[in-house]
Amino acid sequence: MSNVNTVVFTIVVVLFVLVTFIGFAAARWRRADDMLHLNEWGLGGRGFGTFIGWFLLGGDLYTAYTFIAVPALVFASGAIGFFAVSYTIMVFPIAFIFLPRLWSICRVHNYITPADFIRGRYGSRGLSLAAAFTGILSLMPYIALQLVGIQAVLTVMGVEADSTNTYVKDVPLFVAFVVLAIYTYVSGLRAPAAISFVKDTLIYVFVIVAVFYIPTRLGGWSHIFGTAQTHMAAINPATNKPNGAFIPTSKSIGSTQLDFATLALGSALALFIYPHTITGALATKRRDVVKRNMALLPAYSVLLACIALFGYMALTDKPTAAAVKKAGNTQLAVPYLLQHMFPSWFTGIAFGAIIIGALVPAAIMAIAAANLFTRNIFKEFFKPDASPKVETRTSQWASLVIKFGALAFAVWLPHTFAINLQLLGGVWILQVFVMLVAGLYTRWFHRWALVLGWAAGMIYGTIAAYNVHSATSSHWANSSDIVFGHTVYIGLTAFIINLVVAVVLTPILRAVKAPEGTDETLPHQYTADPAGAPAPEPAGVGLTRATD
Amino acid sequence: MTEPTATPGVPGDPLHAAVTRRVNPVTAHPITSLAIFVLVVGAIMGTLIVPIYDSETPKLGAWPFFYWYQLVYMPVVAVALWIAMLLQRRLRRPADTDIAGTDGGPVPGGAR
Repeated sequence: MSNVNTVVFTIVVVLFVLVTFIGFAAARWRRADDMLHLNEWGLGGRGFGTFIGWFLLGGDLYTAYTFIAVPALVFASGAIGFFAVSYTIMVFPIAFIFLPRLWSICRVHNYITPADFIRGRYGSRGLSLAAAFTGILSLMPYIALQLVGIQAVLTVMGVEADSTNTYVKDVPLFVAFVVLAIYTYVSGLRAPAAISFVKDTLIYVFVIVAVFYIPTRLGGWSHIFGTAQTHMAAINPATNKPNGAFIPTSKSIGSTQLDFATLALGSALALFIYPHTITGALATKRRDVVKRNMALLPAYSVLLACIALFGYMALTDKPTAAAVKKAGNTQLAVPYLLQHMFPSWFTGIAFGAIIIGALVPAAIMAIAAANLFTRNIFKEFFKPDASPKVETRTSQWASLVIKFGALAFAVWLPHTFAINLQLLGGVWILQVFVMLVAGLYTRWFHRWALVLGWAAGMIYGTIAAYNVHSATSSHWANSSDIVFGHTVYIGLTAFIINLVVAVVLTPILRAVKAPEGTDETLPHQYTADPAGAPAPEPAGVGLTRATD
Repeated sequence: MTEPTATPGVPGDPLHAAVTRRVNPVTAHPITSLAIFVLVVGAIMGTLIVPIYDSETPKLGAWPFFYWYQLVYMPVVAVALWIAMLLQRRLRRPADTDIAGTDGGPVPGGAR
């Protein structure tokens, strides 16, 4: 701890204590009569309006990993990293199409998780289990990655530098995560919702200051873009290829238009299938709140674009680029850049913003995964008569288990493994798209065809990602694959395979009269806009009725 | 997996009581529907079709086209979606606006 800057450290600790206080106090925020219901703990009472909803969803969608990994990719490979910008633009019109329908049907039937809807729509426990399993599986590495983001900041702060002992080294991370786990247990979704105000404010302040101030220190934008362009065009002696691409083109080897577009599209399709983003959306009060937020959230994408450009700034700032090279970890590009450019007190604020930025989505992800476990595994298969109280208690404990699982993941496994698994998680979660989104519009698909399509997509995606490796990268290190001579995002290929299997098998299964399952939804419910949250009683309509 | 679930819809439930028979809003308002379609799909295409913006010129100050286009496109998407949302209100019939028929007041276990 000898090289820790006291000012930076103190400010980060103060900010952390502040959000801890807010996290615990949030239990009393918008308090309901009966807090022991998943609508309360797991969805914050389903009563957030446009304003709170914007902060919550913004804090939920833009994870600390984004703040660290996107600029790291831009730093390392150039324009391809900007796929994240393109993706966060197109995600909102895509979600604008189907998310209001999902909101309505979940509100009418009191569904808490996306798998609840799949259960009700197709009358299929197996399909709902597939969705819940995929959701939990893709959220675990995602939570672990929030920790990797925190670790990157702590490393640059010098907190971790001195000890080689894993346990001592990770004590600050451990403390931060235990505190987070406890207040999430106590306050549920209200904790990240309240903390997201602090997160979003701090992120806005630090990014806007940085984007106007840093270029003045680095000789202006023309110098930043010029350096980046020269660097990306330069030939890397190790691979004999250019370092990257400054503009995606159809000819360059490093990144192609199609790779860029499919990565962006695949990620955009996946984002609102992730259970934690659906949790954020379902916590809102009215259907229009969801729509309004789709129009308002691009304001956050502007920040993401600025953050992505930090990658080029880090490349232009010679001491930062040298420090990153020395550490051999591009994830450190942004923390080093901030540390080198700003006075200590502002570095403290920026680092605090990134750490809090990791805590908010980590909490929501743990809640979403816990709800999936409780509703679609525990209640569905083990305790069909679980009362809302038992459900809430189960979810609270499950959120703790999931958090510690993710912590073990981040501490004991190599970081590259966590990062690669998160990429794989994106491929996996995309396989829920057909059953979920198609189900919002039609019951044409046969439920067994959807299960088989899902399985085909999962298997193809996992194997294809495993097979992409080269001398310089490990298995699963890359999410793009060459299909018919084009570099394409594996998730999207797997998604198309999934869709084709489901389309082909549906008429066959129908011809052999495979049982269809009962649909408990009605067409008008997909556009309904009930004002109040559903009463606790009809919770899990399909689940309880199926058993009595 | 084969187990049947509940009977669809519960007639007595106020949430279910509203419209079961409805005019298709798309055929009722073809022009508004087309406008919404163009706004939403156009918003996606403007960033999905990479050849539109993967060039260095025209530059805006020091910024290559590829970089400033995406920044400028964000508010465009925001405005397009906001207009689409307003247009969608015109598609909705009065009966749909509040199916539960409640005044938004507290319901048991509901939001405040």
